[in-house]
Amino acid sequence: MHSRVLLNTHVVLRLPSGQFKIVEVIPNTAIPLGKYGSFSTNLILGRPYHLTYEILDKEDGQTHSKLRLVPASELNAEALASEDAAAQGEEKTESAANAKGGVEFDIVGENGELLMRSNRLTIDDPLRQTLTQDEIEELKRAGTGSGKDIIAKIMASHQALDEKTSFSLAKYTVRKSKKYLKRFTVLPMDPGMLAKVMMEREAVRIMELREEMLGLIASWANVHHYSDPGEEMETKRGGRWLIIDDTGGLLTAAMAERMGILYPQEEEVEESDEEDLEESNATNGTNHQAPSPKDPPRPTTTDASEKELATTTSNPKKAPYNHTPSQSSPTTTLTLLHPSAQPSLGLLRHFGFDTNEPSPTHPLHTHLKTLSWLSLLSPSTDPAYAEPPLVTAEKLATWKSGKRGTYHRKRRRWERVKRVVDETREGGFDGLVVATAMELKGVLEHTLPLLRGGAQVAVYSPHVEPLVQLMDLYSRERRAAFMIGGHTSAPSPHANETEKRELEEDFPLNPLALLNTQLQTARGRAWQVLPGRTHPFMTARGGAEGFLFSGTKVQPVEGRVEARGRFAKRRKVEGGGEG
Amino acid sequence: MYPRGHSLKDLVRTSPFLNPPPKATPDSLALLGLRRDHFIPITLQDDGAAVTNTRFGSFPHQALLDLPWGTQVRAINVNASRSKKSKKQGGGKKRKRADDDDGDGNLREDDAGGEDGEGEDGHELASSGFVHLLPPTPETWTISLPHRTQVVYTPDYSYVLQRLRVRPGDTIIEAGAGSGSFTHASARAVFSGYPSQQASAKELENVENGIAGGDALPKKKKRKFGKVYSFEFHEPRVQVLRDEVKEHGLEEIVTVTHRDVYEDGFCIDEEVDGQPQPRANAIFLDLPAPWLALKHLTRSPPTSSQIRSSANSPMPVTESDKPFRTPLSPTKPVHICTFSPCIEQVTRTVSMLRQLGWIEIEMVELLHKRIDVKRERVGLQEEGLRGGNPMPKSVDEALGRLREQELRTRGFYERQKAKAEGKEDDDADAGAEAMEKELVKVEDGTGDAEGIESLLSKQQRMESNQSKAQERKIWKEGKLVHRTESELKTHTSYLTFATLPREWTEEDEKRVARKWPVKKQGGVENGDGGKRGRKGRGKEEAKLPEGGEDD
Repeated sequence: MHSRVLLNTHVVLRLPSGQFKIVEVIPNTAIPLGKYGSFSTNLILGRPYHLTYEILDKEDGQTHSKLRLVPASELNAEALASEDAAAQGEEKTESAANAKGGVEFDIVGENGELLMRSNRLTIDDPLRQTLTQDEIEELKRAGTGSGKDIIAKIMASHQALDEKTSFSLAKYTVRKSKKYLKRFTVLPMDPGMLAKVMMEREAVRIMELREEMLGLIASWANVHHYSDPGEEMETKRGGRWLIIDDTGGLLTAAMAERMGILYPQEEEVEESDEEDLEESNATNGTNHQAPSPKDPPRPTTTDASEKELATTTSNPKKAPYNHTPSQSSPTTTLTLLHPSAQPSLGLLRHFGFDTNEPSPTHPLHTHLKTLSWLSLLSPSTDPAYAEPPLVTAEKLATWKSGKRGTYHRKRRRWERVKRVVDETREGGFDGLVVATAMELKGVLEHTLPLLRGGAQVAVYSPHVEPLVQLMDLYSRERRAAFMIGGHTSAPSPHANETEKRELEEDFPLNPLALLNTQLQTARGRAWQVLPGRTHPFMTARGGAEGFLFSGTKVQPVEGRVEARGRFAKRRKVEGGGEG
Repeated sequence: MYPRGHSLKDLVRTSPFLNPPPKATPDSLALLGLRRDHFIPITLQDDGAAVTNTRFGSFPHQALLDLPWGTQVRAINVNASRSKKSKKQGGGKKRKRADDDDGDGNLREDDAGGEDGEGEDGHELASSGFVHLLPPTPETWTISLPHRTQVVYTPDYSYVLQRLRVRPGDTIIEAGAGSGSFTHASARAVFSGYPSQQASAKELENVENGIAGGDALPKKKKRKFGKVYSFEFHEPRVQVLRDEVKEHGLEEIVTVTHRDVYEDGFCIDEEVDGQPQPRANAIFLDLPAPWLALKHLTRSPPTSSQIRSSANSPMPVTESDKPFRTPLSPTKPVHICTFSPCIEQVTRTVSMLRQLGWIEIEMVELLHKRIDVKRERVGLQEEGLRGGNPMPKSVDEALGRLREQELRTRGFYERQKAKAEGKEDDDADAGAEAMEKELVKVEDGTGDAEGIESLLSKQQRMESNQSKAQERKIWKEGKLVHRTESELKTHTSYLTFATLPREWTEEDEKRVARKWPVKKQGGVENGDGGKRGRKGRGKEEAKLPEGGEDD
């Protein structure tokens, strides 16, 4: 998946300006990169990721530019050169500095050569660049080389280039390269990358969920692939996570990646297999979708009736796929609770999954389950949960095929909804991941009971306030008061309305049901690393910091807590400790 | 109940980190949660004598076994239980609890009687103290593991694994295994099944769906199982880590090797599917001199021109007779992270990475903070209470107190005056009486507390506050505030990331170019204005980078 650019996948192109562009790799099309030019997708298809290309100028009669692969040595050349310079300069600089008493002037070598300049003599005058804009435009039209020539000419025409300090010279070169170099780098699409791209475009849509937080959430929610050899014979459920995702699918994608259910195919193709594939692709011609790399293992079905159902209804094109009912996997699943009628997972299309017409070969087809809050909390009022009338086979045979198809589709849809709703309401989830703008108290009130003991809870918020309030519901004082009050997980059935309301007000959530609650934030700070010029980057994106609340679901002891409280109030709070 | 005695189950040993059984089982790792950041890892034993003692009491393993995870467990009075048990010819397997499955009702029944009631198994409950029984996770293990070296903590390892793009089925090299926290986290990240599971499952019919059913794949596409290859130079640590890995059921996923990786590199004599290992696509180096290990992490032998031995980084390219072998995956891009506390280490590592053709070199330092949340209670009513700030909460309250103090001072002077005039006895008595009355009012709750506060002594005020606090819901009062926790890790290490793309030769390029020739009239524009339908295209793709900047 991530070793080579495959057909119809989304890739990210990084441009010299540092901007990102997402493109879908459709063969025999051109990818335009604005002022940097355009190139044919066929020139990157089948090639490895992380390579940098230079767009060459079109030759006469050609419709497309050719690409030149820029080797790593060339990409690193500049940094290495400055490293060399620094290594050479180091000794001389030292002696020169000593000679001049370390005064910050131009540093002159023993033989009078200038080793390091200061900005004492810098003249702030745009006219020092002798090339006019028109002339630069002329150069660009003439289209010599790949931008390198232009940069070289610009540098040569700068009157005072040799007056620049090495720092400002480096900056100048970088600035010009960004503007004129016609290069791009092909990067694979993955949730970390998507977070980065989306942060620059529509940060609000992903709740400003940064890559740092993705890693942290996955760890604290203990999200991982599930495979239990003991359960293989039974279709016992395992490795189920509950997710509430208002980030348009980014969070879902990130968790799915950790579970190994995001990419259409596991990367098990060995080199020899790869050769085979290529042969077969070559004979298929270029317009066909390469069959093998896109086809994940075709799952077998356990349910014979399901199979029958599928074959009777499906059209020939879809025939092979309908064997597996969607959202049916027992293990390694994500169950998404959504507030609207349909889940909002638009970003998953970057990973080849469209919730409106899910590809049956995509692992998310069976491993991602979706249901609305209505289905969860009040299935009886959800029309999708109501069983459509069952029609006998004889009667069905008399129907027209279209009507029959609709009937089966309805039945299948109902079966899916019922299966997902029932198993979700049954609970026993291994973890809960939340990123939502909804009030968290209500979200947790309905989801915590669905978790097994020891399950991990991770709640993300771009702002700290909602999580501070959540932390407060589990504060040490509140826990102590709850225990001393002799409350248990549910209000006592004998309590009257006022007492119940008061309890609800004092303890909106059972403060003993989550252990080890903590609130944290993490942020990466990037550095520039060059000899003598190592420092953190000067600017970074501001905006929401991003915070994570986490805890462990536990089952408090019922009953005796009250009695103990009378004997050692203080000690119990200390001893109970985790408040 | 957990299905036991299943044929596959017996063949494959699962890990409590990855497949925690629903309940605590013997010989499996469990954690006792004492309080936040304080866990005690224990291996449960089905043995009457096994007891774990904590500062919150003693916990015989018999009382923990078969409990569902997350259960709060009360301390047991061990000595009393012992004597009782011996009477009941104890020491055997606990008696089955009838209400095992529906949770917690049993305890209430058992100890309805007295303060030192009898819990399950005839254990006598201690009067106080409890723990929570938790399944292990890499996070809790990281907090509780026996320290051997500096530990890579959760914020760092989760970011590293995210940036290294470690996914189920991947192979990761870890050098400088240290205390094993990164080992456990990366084992969870790469886990995609137990290799012996596939072997054993061959005879059994596979009924699983989706990717979990790797056996449904065509024969030549065998599922690749995630692996962690861990290297450590310090032999005793290697042994301890090996034992841990075995005990934690991770031996099929983690291979620990004792090795000086600077000298001997990362290749090992283990084959999977006829391929020499590790064939890694992710590398984490927590070594004092990562640049010395980098020469072993290439796809082709490094040339001496690549490695320029400058004066300050002596690195002899050792010519060996052994044929070159790469520990890296030949097809996947390889991501690396080096973990170094000092900037000098970073400089040298980055320089070496550049020379060896690594790209996308980036150095990041991760700033992680944990945040404390509390309620800030301010006001005179807090005097004498814990956790409150006894300053006046507002200007009005301050004014009120000042006025009262003023009154009091005046009263004092008046009494002094009266005393001087020789009438002290009567007045003093009257004063004391008045004070008494006010106090009674306070205790009845009928008095105007605000009014008489200053008439009381400090001691009295505090006592009055304390008694009133019993009725207050202090957990709901005050202003909700947050701040960085008092103990802050301001620097752990610098994280240097880099990527080594797959090698791409002229021949490769020619082969692929034959397959995807660029046609002369390749007309359709991808990207903006494309003709492809809605599938896979949104406004993201439609947007063009704007040229923008001028100077």
